[in-house]
Amino acid sequence: MRRRFGALALAAVAGLVFAACGGTAAQPSGTGGGPPIALGGSISETGNLSADATYELQGIQLAVEQINSKGGVLGRRLTFKYYDDKSDAGTAVRLYQRLITQDKVNFLLGPYSSGITQAMASIPNKYQVVSVDAGASLPTIFKAPNKYNFSDVASSETYIEQVLPIAKQHGLNKVALLVFNSAFSLACGAARKQQAQQLGMNIVYENTYSLPVPDFSSQALGIKNAGAEVIIGCTYYPDAIGIAQALNRVGYKPTMFAETVGPPEAGFVKTLGPIANGIITNTQWWPSLHTPGNSQFVSSFKSKYGIDPDYHAASGYAAVQILAEGIRRAGAIDQNKVRAALLKGNIPTVQGTWNCDQYGLPVGIKNYLAQYQGGVMKLVYPENVAEAPIQIPYTGA
Amino acid sequence: MLILQLLVNGVLLAGMYLLMAQSLNLIFGVMRIVNFAQGTMIAVAGLFTVWLATRIGLNPFLAIPIVFVAMFWIGAIVERLLLRRITLRGTQGELMTLMVTFGISFVLINVALKAWGSEYVSLPYLQSSWRLGPIEFAKSLVIAGAFGTVLSAALFSWLNFTGSGKALLATSQSRIGAGTCGIDAGRMSTLAFALGSALAAAAGTVLVLVTPLGPQSGNDLTILCFVVIALGGLGDYLGAILGALVVGVAQSVLGFYLGGNVQVLLPYILLILIMLFIPRGLSLSRLAR
Repeated sequence: MRRRFGALALAAVAGLVFAACGGTAAQPSGTGGGPPIALGGSISETGNLSADATYELQGIQLAVEQINSKGGVLGRRLTFKYYDDKSDAGTAVRLYQRLITQDKVNFLLGPYSSGITQAMASIPNKYQVVSVDAGASLPTIFKAPNKYNFSDVASSETYIEQVLPIAKQHGLNKVALLVFNSAFSLACGAARKQQAQQLGMNIVYENTYSLPVPDFSSQALGIKNAGAEVIIGCTYYPDAIGIAQALNRVGYKPTMFAETVGPPEAGFVKTLGPIANGIITNTQWWPSLHTPGNSQFVSSFKSKYGIDPDYHAASGYAAVQILAEGIRRAGAIDQNKVRAALLKGNIPTVQGTWNCDQYGLPVGIKNYLAQYQGGVMKLVYPENVAEAPIQIPYTGA
Repeated sequence: MLILQLLVNGVLLAGMYLLMAQSLNLIFGVMRIVNFAQGTMIAVAGLFTVWLATRIGLNPFLAIPIVFVAMFWIGAIVERLLLRRITLRGTQGELMTLMVTFGISFVLINVALKAWGSEYVSLPYLQSSWRLGPIEFAKSLVIAGAFGTVLSAALFSWLNFTGSGKALLATSQSRIGAGTCGIDAGRMSTLAFALGSALAAAAGTVLVLVTPLGPQSGNDLTILCFVVIALGGLGDYLGAILGALVVGVAQSVLGFYLGGNVQVLLPYILLILIMLFIPRGLSLSRLAR
């Protein structure tokens, strides 16, 4: 029996090695006024992060296609070579090494999620290759010594930052914090905890979890037992669903229920049905916003993929817009010139005008709140752009 | 009352785990193969159920016989075309069968990725609870647990009280002995793998109502199933009940008091402890004898 267990362990290791050796996918290169400008990146086509990451990939691909249809950049077409990192940081690091050393790409587009970007962030700096990271919101990535990473999403620490002040205005005081054990979620959870304390609110339940949790009933019961009025979930897609299901199973409805990442995806409401109604989430982009080229982006995305884009799609699309404009302004495939052009900012994107600080951290990206109402996600905050007033309490029906 | 609710949740979770793990036991018992595709079979069956429900509006419970029969035949074909051709004797044979079931797992994952994409899905069905006094009974877990118990009882009865079941059991105890009594051991292996695959599929149709599943959920499910049957004693059908109860209740209680990180770590910690201290598991059948 012991020998059998040993064999199993060996086979398990072998399996993990197989799992890490992903397949590749590349977009065919084209011809133009010179050799194509090669962009490269990894994306989580599979694994825990795939639901959100797939939107980002689709946004990138659409932007590359549209820029090429308008003559490319500096008279040259763009190509985008990418690999599936399987939502695994170690795999992503190897893939970025490969993109630079073997595939010889000219520029990088970052992977999805702060955790994976954090792992690969030293590579663009080691090889001095500009990387625009549409999936990274962790501010510590965009600090010295990193000089070649640029982000186009708001800081992790600002996600759903409007929820607790609104809760406070409604006289709510008891807060539950459920935080996924990832770089993004931990940063967000710490910021929301500090915010709750500053607002004088009472954190009655706090729990950090890893995935896959088979059933969130124990956590839901903890929240119920603590009588939390506001639930702040620093989540990704699968856990955002699991937590909502478990709360419903234990028969508990908080007054406000907010989750960071997951709810904007189309599958969320299909999976949860009426339970989704009243769930509040964060977005940094919305179809109705009057930003440069936004309406055309929305219609072309829907036409190409048959679904509405979300903010991950918009940030992927904007990342290519930012990089392309940086190359255009630099006038050459020169990393330092492109970096200098990007640092000057003032680049129009579907997310609004993009600017950054000296380390590539975006400046001025806005966060909005959206909420499921009657099975449809609506922009509810701030009021000047809201499609409907925010609904309190959470109905879940 | 809180601890009672946690215990109820744990027992309900145990029913789900038993449903998932028992077919691993069946396949190991007869074929001496630890099926590393077990979790993926469960996940793929769950995804197929969601597809049937969303595409043609089929009730998930009506999907069970369809998924069961489909997976039974897939299991039978896999056994005849792949596993039968591998020499099962010795360490090399064990490793070979492990690698083959790993391979089957990756093939299934990639077929599912092509067919349904990588998104995690569940179904908005049986999401609420029945309330009995102060205790909530999650409908999906009650149904899953009851289904698991009924299937386990049916499997146990079939193995112990029918001719074909006894033949299968005899093969699991001694292939040579069964062969000398005229039992076709090869045929029994096909039946075991087919039935094991079908039972895993049945578990998947119910599991997808409890938690979101994606094509790559399988590896974690395999580990969980493996811990349940290792704890109960590999190949021990009664022991698996105890194994499922220990894992389910421990996850429920520790998840509440120590948090989600411990809940996820628990099966791996248990696996190490079993390997170190009770490599033959708790083995209820042995104790009963």
